[in-house]
Amino acid sequence: MTSYASDPAWADIEPLPQDDGGPHPLAAIAYKDEYSEAMSYLRAVMAKNEMSERVLGLTERIIGMNPAHYTVWLYRSRVLAALSYDLRTELAWLNPTALKHLKNYQIWHHRQTIVDALDSADGEQAFIAGMMEQDAKNYHVWSYRQWLVKRFALWDAGELEIVEAMLQHDVRNNSAWNHRYFLVFGRDDGVVVEQKTIDREIEYAKETIRKAPQNQAPWNYVRGVLRYAKLSPASLKEFAAGFAPVERPEDIKSSHALDLLAEIYAQEQGKSEEAVRVLDLLAEKYDPIRANYWNFRKSQLGSASAAA
Amino acid sequence: MAHDPPPSAASLLTGEESVLNHTRHINYWRRCLKTFLPWQYTSNDSNRMSLAFFIVSALDLLGNLDSGISAEERQGFIDWVYHCQHPDGGFRAFPGTDLGELRNEENKIWDPANVPATFFALGLLIVLGDDLQKVKRRECLMWLTKMQRSEGGFGETLGEDGRIEGGNDTRFGYTGSGIRYMLRGYITGPVDGVPDIDVDKLVQCINISESYDGGISEAPFHEAHAGFTHCAISALYFLGRLPESSLPSGPRHDDVIRGITNLPLTLHWLASRQTAILDEEDLYDSAEDELEAAHTQTNSSFVKLSSFPLKPREVPQQDTWPLPHSLQWAGMNGRCNKIADTCYAFWVTGALTVLGHLNIIDRASLRRYLLDKTQHIVGGFGKVAGDPPDLYHAYLGLATLAIMGESGVKSFHTPLCFSQDANDRLEALEWRKKLIGDWQTESLKN
Repeated sequence: MTSYASDPAWADIEPLPQDDGGPHPLAAIAYKDEYSEAMSYLRAVMAKNEMSERVLGLTERIIGMNPAHYTVWLYRSRVLAALSYDLRTELAWLNPTALKHLKNYQIWHHRQTIVDALDSADGEQAFIAGMMEQDAKNYHVWSYRQWLVKRFALWDAGELEIVEAMLQHDVRNNSAWNHRYFLVFGRDDGVVVEQKTIDREIEYAKETIRKAPQNQAPWNYVRGVLRYAKLSPASLKEFAAGFAPVERPEDIKSSHALDLLAEIYAQEQGKSEEAVRVLDLLAEKYDPIRANYWNFRKSQLGSASAAA
Repeated sequence: MAHDPPPSAASLLTGEESVLNHTRHINYWRRCLKTFLPWQYTSNDSNRMSLAFFIVSALDLLGNLDSGISAEERQGFIDWVYHCQHPDGGFRAFPGTDLGELRNEENKIWDPANVPATFFALGLLIVLGDDLQKVKRRECLMWLTKMQRSEGGFGETLGEDGRIEGGNDTRFGYTGSGIRYMLRGYITGPVDGVPDIDVDKLVQCINISESYDGGISEAPFHEAHAGFTHCAISALYFLGRLPESSLPSGPRHDDVIRGITNLPLTLHWLASRQTAILDEEDLYDSAEDELEAAHTQTNSSFVKLSSFPLKPREVPQQDTWPLPHSLQWAGMNGRCNKIADTCYAFWVTGALTVLGHLNIIDRASLRRYLLDKTQHIVGGFGKVAGDPPDLYHAYLGLATLAIMGESGVKSFHTPLCFSQDANDRLEALEWRKKLIGDWQTESLKN
């Protein structure tokens, strides 16, 4: 890569070197010359508030080396606005950059700013699908997806179907479960959650649990739905007992079913012995990693606090 | 806040003792302090203040800071931190944005103070033994009030026309409330003419980020995440708004809004983070087996419990249940159905410590996970088993061991993320004692 110092297009700029404050800087990094130089030119153009095409190239180079630089993105946004730059071109540049830096926050914020200004979600769901092929649990992508759904009212634009397909592919993907909860219970467009929707969600979670009972995600989901609907967890007693027949411990298929049963017994009058038995099964055999937690739950029996 | 750990059954089964290689860790951190970090840290250039905090505080935790640096170096490090102090209050996250003498009204938005960096800069100064007298405390607290958004959460930097830039998650609420705590303790209301942040709104902002499963997320309806959960709980500590049952002095019926609206559910979520699934292959295996069992309907005794990767039928019927070999190492994941990662060991144990419930996890297997799986031969800790060390995971691995009372490591003040010694120094600062003392006297009068 050519250096800025030898580039006639940058001859008018006096680079501003980094002042690291004396002989004992902390966490000093062995920067490559390319980075040090680009940063010196960045400071120089920032100091002049230069809004130009060449600045876009410079910010791009720095973003490639340090995408977490928080003001380089803000500066770039301001330059784009000043030049009335084509935002579709910017988005096209962002796509491969996002793939290269999957875990970077600033990129997603920048994308949000641009898509907001474009006032169109065209192509965004497809782009997200591509990102999720790389990492189906990427936190930034899911957060961005929620923003997109809210900003463009995509509640009924195939999101639930996408989530179902993703869960079919990986029933353990808790990010997909969470998105489902958001789509159903997080609507901000005035659509009321009806009883039949609640029934549908409970049934969907149950169906998924039947396929893979030792998957905590749908158990958390269904308990969340019950709490939302102010229904007692006891309504799942029979269902849970089906995966955790306490009388036949060799047939127990799910520690999460045992967990729920313990919760239900804890809330039932006169069932604390049953609760203790279930918690002992968890502590001793079915989930010994959490023995201390299950014993703590035993110690809480009889007190008003219950997690359900 | 800590309780004695109950003896773990797993520890009885291990023959070899896992050890913290004290000397190697000191060497690792001294190298980071005294020589340039490799160029690969360039992508973290804008986080230099937090990297600096990790390096200095790690040596403090290992008891090597005082003997490891000269008086001149100590002063030089303090000077560097002050060099990053922003003219309008707060600290820069790195010197890279400093425009020096060219700074003016038009270009100053490209060189803002940064909320997490200010938290780490103050902590760093305290660890280095500085008295914070050169901190522009009034300006800093004034700037802090401008960093709070109308809905209660904090941002990262102040931008054009006073716009609050950066994310809106509990990391900034945590570090923002931590700055307030260090500079003015639990004082409510204005100090020295500078108004307080809106504490109630920040607590409300945290409460609506609780997820349906009891964890806390980045924002309402986002997925619960151990990092955001820790930050939220530590913020509540700084604000004096933890749930009443978590207060060391017991319930206080003072009608203020408190955080963590369903403590048992949050404890359930935090306890669920411990896992023996240590790599993606394990995760894949357990999912495959189970799905296969479900498909073929031969699921009588075949289901592999994800956190208990032993088929029940293989276990001999005995009175005491022997723990399977793999359960000797159990790390923490950050979200449901993810693999263990060193940093989540910290986020989870830290959150539980602040809530006063560290005893609900299995410390012995977590300790072995860190020491046997992610501790690196050159010192430090990697992200997952087999990874090379990096400053972030190396610090949080060490901090987790400090929280759990590892011998040879100083005791830890979890919310401030540094040693108890450093916290003692903070509490002993004369100006801070006077500020808080005067306020207490004043409140008693009213």
